[in-house]
Amino acid sequence: MSVSSVSQDIASHLGSAPEISAAYFVAGLLGTVTFLTVMALILIYAERKVAAHFQCRLGPMRVGWHGLLQSVADALKLILKEDIVPYSADKFLHALAPVFAVVAMLLSLIAIPTSSRLALSDSNIGVLYISAVSGLGVLGILLGGWSSNNKWSLLGAMRAGAQIISYELSATLSVLVVIMLSGSLKLSAIIHSQEAGWWIWRAPGVGLLAFLLFIVSSTAEINRTPFDLAEGESELTAGFHTEYSGMRFAFFFLAEYLNLFVVSALGATLFLGGWMPFHIGNFSGFNAAMDLIPEFIWFMGKTAFLIFLSMWFRWTFPRLRVDQLMKLEWKVLMPIGFINLLLAAMMTLFGFYFFATT
Amino acid sequence: MKTVIVARPGDGNFVSRFFYGVKSLLTGMRVTFRYLVHPSTVVTQQYPENRKTLKLAERVRAQLSFTFDENGFHKCTACHICEQQCPNASIHVMDRKPAGSTKSELDTFIWRLDSCTFCNLCVMVCPFQVLKMNSNFESSVYDQKLLVYNLTPYAGPASSVLMKVADVEERKKLIDARGPYDGPTALSGFPLAGISKQVFPETTQIGAPQ
Repeated sequence: MSVSSVSQDIASHLGSAPEISAAYFVAGLLGTVTFLTVMALILIYAERKVAAHFQCRLGPMRVGWHGLLQSVADALKLILKEDIVPYSADKFLHALAPVFAVVAMLLSLIAIPTSSRLALSDSNIGVLYISAVSGLGVLGILLGGWSSNNKWSLLGAMRAGAQIISYELSATLSVLVVIMLSGSLKLSAIIHSQEAGWWIWRAPGVGLLAFLLFIVSSTAEINRTPFDLAEGESELTAGFHTEYSGMRFAFFFLAEYLNLFVVSALGATLFLGGWMPFHIGNFSGFNAAMDLIPEFIWFMGKTAFLIFLSMWFRWTFPRLRVDQLMKLEWKVLMPIGFINLLLAAMMTLFGFYFFATT
Repeated sequence: MKTVIVARPGDGNFVSRFFYGVKSLLTGMRVTFRYLVHPSTVVTQQYPENRKTLKLAERVRAQLSFTFDENGFHKCTACHICEQQCPNASIHVMDRKPAGSTKSELDTFIWRLDSCTFCNLCVMVCPFQVLKMNSNFESSVYDQKLLVYNLTPYAGPASSVLMKVADVEERKKLIDARGPYDGPTALSGFPLAGISKQVFPETTQIGAPQ
């Protein structure tokens, strides 16, 4: 709350002088980049720790207390490391690919509201915008694989392309359910429509099914295990980023982990009410008690839960084969998504969900 | 007799296979979650902080050593079987004949850690179970020459011969003390540059009576 009010105060006191606008722009840019870098470092540390304990290990323990500074040390190492570009690589595209990956991630991040007063850009086509720009990320992966001039890289990139484009369909189908129920593409409006309860339980069955569909297909979209065919270290060395090292590899790494954050934040926004506290219909006493917890905490808590879920998947499930991957999408998830959408349409039409206003 | 039918992923129709898959995934998630919330399942050993409490398996082969009885005597009769069995000539048994005796007895038992492959053959062939592999894995030294050891702390007959001598003082006359770098080891007779022969504390003497 305090963060958002401060930023609002700054915004309201700003004049229209160009130098102030420029200063605000630079400050915003620096703040965002710092926040994202810290977020990525925390996510990488958390992933390593969680993964370790899932596998009966301890994870990083040496750098700092319980290895807290491990990801900082790793980041420093990557910055200082030599940046090797293969002799026969397409130099320009090779340099461009990580930038694409990071930019696509940044673009989708700006549309997500983190509390009722802090949203970088609350566009009225927020969901459409996110599904459009998050598809750009595959361009970075394809470019990286192609420009490396390496069989593994190209195979990984092609797999990633096929996979991301396929799973975008069922991700969108599950998102459509929420759009239909809330009647808006604007992310803040979708959150406000969950004031009486989150869509995951307010739309009986359909909400939960759409949520599960979204989790599965978004895990595939960000190339995480069990859908990490694009990187599959046991098959393709490192997939599309085999030929990357130093800072460029760090960019792919950053994009990968912040994509995890973006997808989890989007899932939390659409199905778990975003920054909206846990409300049950008209139980005003209960709702008021829930409102005591700041919105930002609610948002981060839900996002953290979804991130944990994704890590849990990653360190439990075995990787799918390419044909199994395609079969899962086109023969299982897509039909379920269509049926679910149909049910959601009927529910919306007849107002057959909890605390319907119409 | 009861027949147990185990469901396999390939059995049944699409729907039952789907739910079988979901169930197996949830089972896997339950297993990993149990590991996550039970820190006691962690198997990592935080070496070297836990030197005192380090637990090593009985089967660890880190160094060749002698076993000793309660009086600190070994049973080695210098029969040379281990020396003959050693595939890479890492063992040299130096024996001696005391004055007025026809029987050989062990003088020094030279073991070269630098060429040993820890194949355990010497341990297996020893007729008296004198040799064993212990778990003292911190073998690093500052010079390769220091990896040639003498395993026996004394030169003298086997414990069966020694115990026939009732008087403790008489026993002591039969044996002569040997250090870890005595005999034809790299260090015998001369110090290394910067390392004198005497600086090694008792604790580095491997194969010493526990």
